[in-house]
Amino acid sequence: MAISISQITPVFAGEVSGVDITQPLSREDVAAIEAGMDRHAVLVFHDQHLTDDTQRAFTRNFGSLESSPGGHIATAAERRLPLDMQDASNLDKEQKPLARDDRRRMFNLGNRLWHSDSSYRAMPAKYSLLSGRVVVDRGGHTEFADMRAAYDALDDATKTEIDDLVCEHSLMFSRGTLGFTELSEAERAMFRPVRQRLVRTHPVTGRKSLFLSAHCGGIVGWPVPEARAFLRDLAEHATQPQFVYSHKWRQWDLVIWDNRQTMHRVTRFDETQIRDMRRTTVTGDAMTVAQAA
Amino acid sequence: MTVSIKPLHPLFVGEVSGTHITQPLDRDVVATIEAGMDRYAILVFRDQRVTDEQQLAFSRNFGELEVTRGTGISKPGELRLDPAFADVSNLDTNNLPLARDNRRRLYSLGNRLWHSDSSFKAVPATYSLLSGRIVADKGGETEFADMRAAYDALDAATRASIEDLVCEHSLQYSREQLGFDLTPEERATMRPVRQRLVRAHPVTARKSLYLASHIGTIIGWPMPEARAFIRDLTEHATQPQFVYTHAWRPWDLVMWDNRQVMHRVRRYDESKPRDMRRTTVAGTTVTVAQAA
Repeated sequence: MAISISQITPVFAGEVSGVDITQPLSREDVAAIEAGMDRHAVLVFHDQHLTDDTQRAFTRNFGSLESSPGGHIATAAERRLPLDMQDASNLDKEQKPLARDDRRRMFNLGNRLWHSDSSYRAMPAKYSLLSGRVVVDRGGHTEFADMRAAYDALDDATKTEIDDLVCEHSLMFSRGTLGFTELSEAERAMFRPVRQRLVRTHPVTGRKSLFLSAHCGGIVGWPVPEARAFLRDLAEHATQPQFVYSHKWRQWDLVIWDNRQTMHRVTRFDETQIRDMRRTTVTGDAMTVAQAA
Repeated sequence: MTVSIKPLHPLFVGEVSGTHITQPLDRDVVATIEAGMDRYAILVFRDQRVTDEQQLAFSRNFGELEVTRGTGISKPGELRLDPAFADVSNLDTNNLPLARDNRRRLYSLGNRLWHSDSSFKAVPATYSLLSGRIVADKGGETEFADMRAAYDALDAATRASIEDLVCEHSLQYSREQLGFDLTPEERATMRPVRQRLVRAHPVTARKSLYLASHIGTIIGWPMPEARAFIRDLTEHATQPQFVYTHAWRPWDLVMWDNRQVMHRVRRYDESKPRDMRRTTVAGTTVTVAQAA
């Protein structure tokens, strides 16, 4: 059975059928998925009963797994999953929902803001792969926005203005937006801002896109409040309904997205219920701009 | 010639004709305007060449005026206008545009965020009246969102869940969103106040969402959860169908009811003068008892 992809919205996102990703894939299948990612930026696979190991194996088809600290405040002892599986659940090590005022839960609420995974790393992520092991029946959708279409829809004056702008990204900024500001010195050091171009070009398709993220807290050379007001305007533009696909999870969906071409966020859900989502991340292979000395 | 009001939007906003607000008004004209405000929440008056004194006199038809402290961080010598005005211009006391990194300019960028005027005061404002003396030829629009229609469009479960919520509002919160650094002294003048999240209009009894970028938390909620939720509500409430964009002509005067709408200014070229002067009618009641 051959892989086929049907586009979901008029601008992006595809639904894949004809492949069992729990099994090793042929080189042709991997190439077909990569080509689909280049074109659609988000791919949805249904009914994929992945284990952590088969999810890792599938992910390695596309590059190496991101497996470094710096993405969360949870300590090694608190982590439910190893470093190469990002825990997008609302659970503690005993598989119980985190308490309402748990610091880790507060931190996770940053995922309700539009962002691009690991944009706060000098080498930002390529793909993210999210497996819905236990999904909630109401809310908890993942919304995606097409940053290529959003870029294309800007007027020419704005495109010219932003073409060479460089932004500063840090987890401190996204968490600060929600009033989560009590960070230890070690956390602050871990979340040191990095630089990213505001307009980036896809290495395969050559399409330009807006590299926005809630982690983005400033534009180099701009006064901070002016930068933030402008970035908010751009994010509002980029997340208009015509650029958005809202994924309503079924158990055992696996969704892959290209962080170089999209932003995403989770919508509100009843956090007293268990929602077990596990993410693997393909590390990027290039910086978008030289870092500050 | 009698006063008439023509709707400018399917939900709210009326354009008023047949009156010169530069002149003293009859009581029945004032009553017509007030009834128009109750219904439309925003009224637009064109070609009103008001002086500061005339704007003050017109505004006083609707109640006592707020005495604002300029932009909130200005020092006495920096005020360009009488303290009964909120200076919404980008100008210094010599009527020159503020430098890009001027602190007052950066502070005033908070107006780019959706807000309701003076929601950070225990007794918040009723009407704001903004006169466009020198307007930007590109950008600088004021956008308004109808918080009654936004409330009505919520699902019943959400309406029930927010009915009795109380929020904390402060200028600190809107300015922190933009990364503006306040001094400890400034912070001390911006002590958070409490406001109901759902308020009812005293005349029409219509309920509305009382949102503003000045909101920092919901009483009894962890702050990040409150902020994420308030952002969701704000996104809902500012969808295009609830929004009217006012593209300014010189000498427009726009009057809005802060109890029923939010507003914000859009980006414009701040190297050119934009002289907008606001008077604000003080409210008479709190929306909820303040913390002791």
